[in-house]
Amino acid sequence: MSAPRSNPLDHPEVRQASAWRYMAGFISTIVLMQAALYVTTHQQLPFAEYAFTIAGLALAALLSQAALLFGLDISRAQIWKSVSLVLTVPLFILAVGLSVWMFQNLAARTMIMPNMPQPTLLQ
Amino acid sequence: MAIQAPPGAGTRLFHPHFEGHDQISARTLGFWLYMLSDALIFTGLFVAYAVLNNPMAAAAGPIAPQIVNQVEGLWQTYAVLGSVAAYSLGTVALKSGNKGGVMLGIVLSILLALVFLYFEAHDLLGLLAAGNGPSRSGYLSAFFVLVATHGLHMVFGILWMLVMLVQIPTLGFSANVVARLINLRMFWQFQATIWVLVYVYVYMIGAF
Repeated sequence: MSAPRSNPLDHPEVRQASAWRYMAGFISTIVLMQAALYVTTHQQLPFAEYAFTIAGLALAALLSQAALLFGLDISRAQIWKSVSLVLTVPLFILAVGLSVWMFQNLAARTMIMPNMPQPTLLQ
Repeated sequence: MAIQAPPGAGTRLFHPHFEGHDQISARTLGFWLYMLSDALIFTGLFVAYAVLNNPMAAAAGPIAPQIVNQVEGLWQTYAVLGSVAAYSLGTVALKSGNKGGVMLGIVLSILLALVFLYFEAHDLLGLLAAGNGPSRSGYLSAFFVLVATHGLHMVFGILWMLVMLVQIPTLGFSANVVARLINLRMFWQFQATIWVLVYVYVYMIGAF
């Protein structure tokens, strides 16, 4: 955190606003999403390669947003936001990755009977 | 020398007028931590969507390839990113105390957010009209909840902007108003981040 200021417009959170940075964040995200759409609509790749390609483009878009829109860096004004984000990202990955892995294992061992009625939570 | 107050109901951990505290930084960091916890809600919704996006959870109904359109999704991407850019550029005008510039950015941002919500409502209402509502299957429940939760965030963001359109001319750029504008900028940029994940995961990879 930074030192107190009498004029709120002098605060680093206000001063960090930058037209070129916001426009760069906007354009880079648009270009990356258009590239992802192109890969999706013209793709001839196996699913795993396709998914890695799209995930890589999404990761690039998220990094550009973090740096250019949110303005995250290691400056005194932003360091704790950056640290908290870095510590939270593994939680996202663990939560999504492990849950999908668990349910994929469940699905692989679930026997589907032909003409089986759909069970409900009340049955 | 520090004065230590005895603990009790009247104890204040944060004195709003103490010069040693930077209120705007404290508020923005607190709101940032709130947004990270909000992101964990979306994490749970993405997990549910990933698990339920298969024919077994569709109850013979549609799944992603039948109901999402990647090109329409790109238009929504333009709208939400344009809205975020408009608001963010409005906060550039905040540096010079330009009320008109800030309010113009907010108004443009609201208009583009309404365009985004129009596309989203069109999609969801179309599914409902075709009998594919959220109670049709586990997959559709996950789809509606994930997409509508993001839409609900957009609605709250628009309401917040409307409040700021009233507060800027009446209260000016006081410390409280500036902190709210900065937090709103983070909140709005966060919506673009979540939308990128929704677009990539639901509209692209999930619909492979």
